[in-house]
Amino acid sequence: MSDLQLTDWRNHALALESEVNKVVVGQHTPIRLITTSIFARGHVLLEGDVGVGKTTLLRAFTRGIGGGYQRIEGTIDLMPNDLVYHTYLGEDGKPHVSAGPLLMSGENLSVFFFNEINRARPQVHSLLLRVMAERSLSAFNAEHYFPHMIVFADRNQVEKEETFEIPSAARDRFMMEIPIVVPNDDAIMEALVFDTKFHNVDALVDTVKPDVLQFDELNGFSGVIQSNITASDTLKKYALNLWKATKAPLDYGVKVSGVDMNRLVLAGASPRGMSMMLRAARVNAWLNNRTAVLPDDIHAVFHSTIAHRLVFSPVYEMRRTEIARDMLSGIINAVAAP
Amino acid sequence: MTKFIRFFSLILLFCATPLSALAIDSQDLPDIKEGFVTIKTIDPTQRVGYTVGDVIERDVILTIKAPYTLVETSLPIKGYEKRYRGQVIGIELKNIHHEKDVHKDYTTHHIKLAYQVFTNSVVAKNAALGPEYLNLINMKNNKDLVKYRIPSLGIAISPLAIFGAVKVEDNMSPMLEPLLMTHTQEKQWLKVALGILVISLLGLLYILGVHTWLPRMGGPFASAYRTLRKTPNSAEGLKQAVSKLHLAFNNTGAMSIFNDNLDTFLAKKSNFSPLKYEIQQFFALSRQVYFEPNATHDIGNNPSKWLVQFARRCRDCERGLTPTPLDSKAGA
Repeated sequence: MSDLQLTDWRNHALALESEVNKVVVGQHTPIRLITTSIFARGHVLLEGDVGVGKTTLLRAFTRGIGGGYQRIEGTIDLMPNDLVYHTYLGEDGKPHVSAGPLLMSGENLSVFFFNEINRARPQVHSLLLRVMAERSLSAFNAEHYFPHMIVFADRNQVEKEETFEIPSAARDRFMMEIPIVVPNDDAIMEALVFDTKFHNVDALVDTVKPDVLQFDELNGFSGVIQSNITASDTLKKYALNLWKATKAPLDYGVKVSGVDMNRLVLAGASPRGMSMMLRAARVNAWLNNRTAVLPDDIHAVFHSTIAHRLVFSPVYEMRRTEIARDMLSGIINAVAAP
Repeated sequence: MTKFIRFFSLILLFCATPLSALAIDSQDLPDIKEGFVTIKTIDPTQRVGYTVGDVIERDVILTIKAPYTLVETSLPIKGYEKRYRGQVIGIELKNIHHEKDVHKDYTTHHIKLAYQVFTNSVVAKNAALGPEYLNLINMKNNKDLVKYRIPSLGIAISPLAIFGAVKVEDNMSPMLEPLLMTHTQEKQWLKVALGILVISLLGLLYILGVHTWLPRMGGPFASAYRTLRKTPNSAEGLKQAVSKLHLAFNNTGAMSIFNDNLDTFLAKKSNFSPLKYEIQQFFALSRQVYFEPNATHDIGNNPSKWLVQFARRCRDCERGLTPTPLDSKAGA
């Protein structure tokens, strides 16, 4: 039964990918990673410049999996309660309260997009992190649950003024950090500019076949994937070595040009981070029609699940993206399996 | 009584007459005609520097043609003191050894003469070995008795020690070659040192060649191939073989090689490009052995044998050779 279930769901997952690929072109890798995070039930940090299609991407996925989609913009004056409710004076002249973005879709909330999360204050981060971890919220003397919610947050990496960098403990709550970059292919770039179908986002998203997946079944099926995709002893040992290498890269001969490796890493990947990596790797193995995790599956998610968790010396924080990429590539090149 | 004495004297005279005839002094006999005797002497190379007690040997090889033959009683007598103008010169024949080879037309005599010096002088003085006179008799005519002279060999007797103020240069004989320093020992040491140097260089080459006797013999795949040939054909042996080949790939590419970075490896090591499909087969086998037992591969029922063939082909690529054709039965 499980085999049939796995095959059936895989076909649906690949159909969803195909649908999203039609509306967001040239983003096969991010789309595969988002699909992975949806089935691994992990929250995602999106990294990319403005206008590269992050919102379109998330809306397309939301249409494909169903459920509610909510979005909020991070601003310096955003307060935690802005996520929960709005107050306003109604036409009757009396104050009114309406549900904020978190509560608006109720338990059906499937995608919550926090744009420019680093513009919001740490108090807002705290609330969001609790919701991410517990998928519940106390408000109006009641407990609200969001069992199917996945948070996507975008960081503005360019502007640093009036921003609050997400601390490493908060970054660790996200399963992945996925870079969204403009495609290099000239034909795709030309299509994005001149093809009018990409100009109207609403109409574009409407072309995605709705409800390819059932958002309220994802949690249950995620467990099926995790229990059916196995990891051999060799694979476990390999993952363990990767983990150790993130803590002490020099022990594995990993070096990054222009970096004092003795001072670089303050903290490697966390146990939570490694377990999330293995969850994502299992999903990747399933998407590739395998019954066990291979090193290739770990490689597919290694950068996106580990890079944002590494804690570097402050002196190297400005070059974080570049250094993390080189260091993790070096680790993959240095650690052997079997 | 008187009669008896006369008779005895007559008998004695009769007996003594032939002896006296034979004891004729050789020097008084006529010389043999030319062509009947040839001589070859082997003389000592040292002609000077002899002093009391020294023994000087000289070989004489005489070839005497028929009808003449050597009267062997005329050979020099051991213990005879050489004289010059009646004076003893202090050289004595210490020993003589005579052999002969008789042929139909000629006879060859090998005469080895050993003289000993019994004189000395405070200054260098000339001396000579010989000459020696030999008697030859015509076998067809007993009255034809002739002599042959073995030429003398000039030598110089040197003092045991120089006394007084002597200028060596003035006292040096032009017959004495310059004394050279002996370098036999140095030559031997040089040979030993050269031997050690050659052995050291070979050792260095061996070390630089990663402990191999032939160039590129110590490559990762060459080593893997040698190991795989000895690996047992069992499940555990298969795991070891796959692991060894993974190690060879990693060492060759100087990075961990997986299925997902195989193209990078082949771009870096284009020698292995002809084996791309087989390398993919190998990774499929590795996947089954190490990660996913349910996975399938198309190698066949005897993957251990296939791995040995595969390792050999990889070794060929490593050495820049065209890979050995795959045995069609491998893996079957």
